[in-house]
Amino acid sequence: MQASRARLFKEYKEVQREKAVDPDIQLVCDDSNIFKWTALIKGPSETPYEGGVFQLAFAVPEQYPLQPPQVRFLTKIFHPNVHFKTGEICLDILKNAWSPAWTLQSVCRAIIALMAHPEPDSPLNCDSGNLLRSGDVRGFQSMARMYTRLAAMPKKG
Amino acid sequence: MVSDSINTAPIPSAANAKNLGKKKRTNRSAKLKQCKFDARREQWLSQGAVKNKGCKDGHELDDVQTPPTPEGKDIKRSLEKLEMRTRGEENEGSIQQDSDLESPSNSPTSFNSSVLGGNDSGTNFTGSSSSSSGSAGCWSGNITEEEEGDEGCLDDWEAVADALAADDKHQNQGSESPPAPETVIQMVSPCEITNGSNLGMRDSKPESSRSVPRASGNCRAWRPDDAYRPQSLPNLSKQLCLSNPDRHYGGGMRWACTAVPSSCPICYEDLDVTDSSFLPCLCGFRLCLFCHKRILEEDGRCPGCRKAYECEPIETEASVYGGSLTFRLARSCSMIERS
Repeated sequence: MQASRARLFKEYKEVQREKAVDPDIQLVCDDSNIFKWTALIKGPSETPYEGGVFQLAFAVPEQYPLQPPQVRFLTKIFHPNVHFKTGEICLDILKNAWSPAWTLQSVCRAIIALMAHPEPDSPLNCDSGNLLRSGDVRGFQSMARMYTRLAAMPKKG
Repeated sequence: MVSDSINTAPIPSAANAKNLGKKKRTNRSAKLKQCKFDARREQWLSQGAVKNKGCKDGHELDDVQTPPTPEGKDIKRSLEKLEMRTRGEENEGSIQQDSDLESPSNSPTSFNSSVLGGNDSGTNFTGSSSSSSGSAGCWSGNITEEEEGDEGCLDDWEAVADALAADDKHQNQGSESPPAPETVIQMVSPCEITNGSNLGMRDSKPESSRSVPRASGNCRAWRPDDAYRPQSLPNLSKQLCLSNPDRHYGGGMRWACTAVPSSCPICYEDLDVTDSSFLPCLCGFRLCLFCHKRILEEDGRCPGCRKAYECEPIETEASVYGGSLTFRLARSCSMIERS
């Protein structure tokens, strides 16, 4: 319990200190609860998510560095490895491949990498996965771009 | 549209909350927070829109600029090495001394490399500050036979320490390390430094006066590394992929040494001397003993390479020996009681 709190506090300080290091990630801790974090990440360039800003919700367990944080998208996203309704993310490092050496910041980076390189073979969003698996990259991209525009971009756009 | 799509997500929890009137308030505050985030997002988006139009090529520039840095560092390092080597050839005594010291300060575990490694550790020469402080430790180790020399070298030691402490926090880590190398060297010295000790003795005084400016010079050379370090520290993958290829010429160990003493990558607490000499996994990933124990209790995989900790660390062997010892003692005690 203490360990996770201490570590999260250190991570918080680290995030404050290195705000400018990764311009694509804004990691914010809840004011009242250090086990709840929110992140804003920018969609990686040259993907259908480019130009969008996606909100992630982190729920950090008490055994944190040993157990992975639970992360989900709060912003709608059309991606094979993200559940369209719940925002759940299928990512190995959030499950069995987690390592305590990862941080919330590096999880954000991993999620950005996942956005750029979807894994259609273990889909949470079957429609999206099927489009990619059948080779319809264009169809996938236009769908993903549409949802990025609808959910992750300013309204006027 | 945006707010709609976002609000749909938390609804399951909201349904629960409706039953309890009290939670309504928290719900409202959550909504308020959400509004804040939306505002921030919007702000960021508008910034992003401008940036995307204007600075797209700027981004590309960034991409181009960032990757070469590790290589550039390597080149710089190798250049340094070359310089050092030439300088070392001028006076062999000094380089030998440095090489003797370099390897123990690199790692207490690579003990035999210090015996083998005359020329090998010569290439390690970039170990800058820690090496110089380490060498101070060695002089004191060598000179213990003559007390006058001992005092002199203590002064030198302090001078070196001052020079190091004046510079940076990192240097504190460097000056922390000497105790460990010192002990190692005192053990080695009878067999290894016998011829070096005379040379070292003669050299030590002029050398020490020279070594202070050299140390500070090296600190300056370290500066660019320092700039990269904070970034590499939290990022595990970088640290690992840097440390592994580097190990060929020993720089990797130095990296590991300098990267580790600051803090445990799991709990972020500072590593003490025992922790920093504790190497539980072959991949070179270090952590503090507490975290190691906690991991062994949970899934037992190294955070660095995600392989199970198979070979038990040396510490447990020691405890086994201790166990047998106490056992024996207990038996002898019982014997005594009987008689």
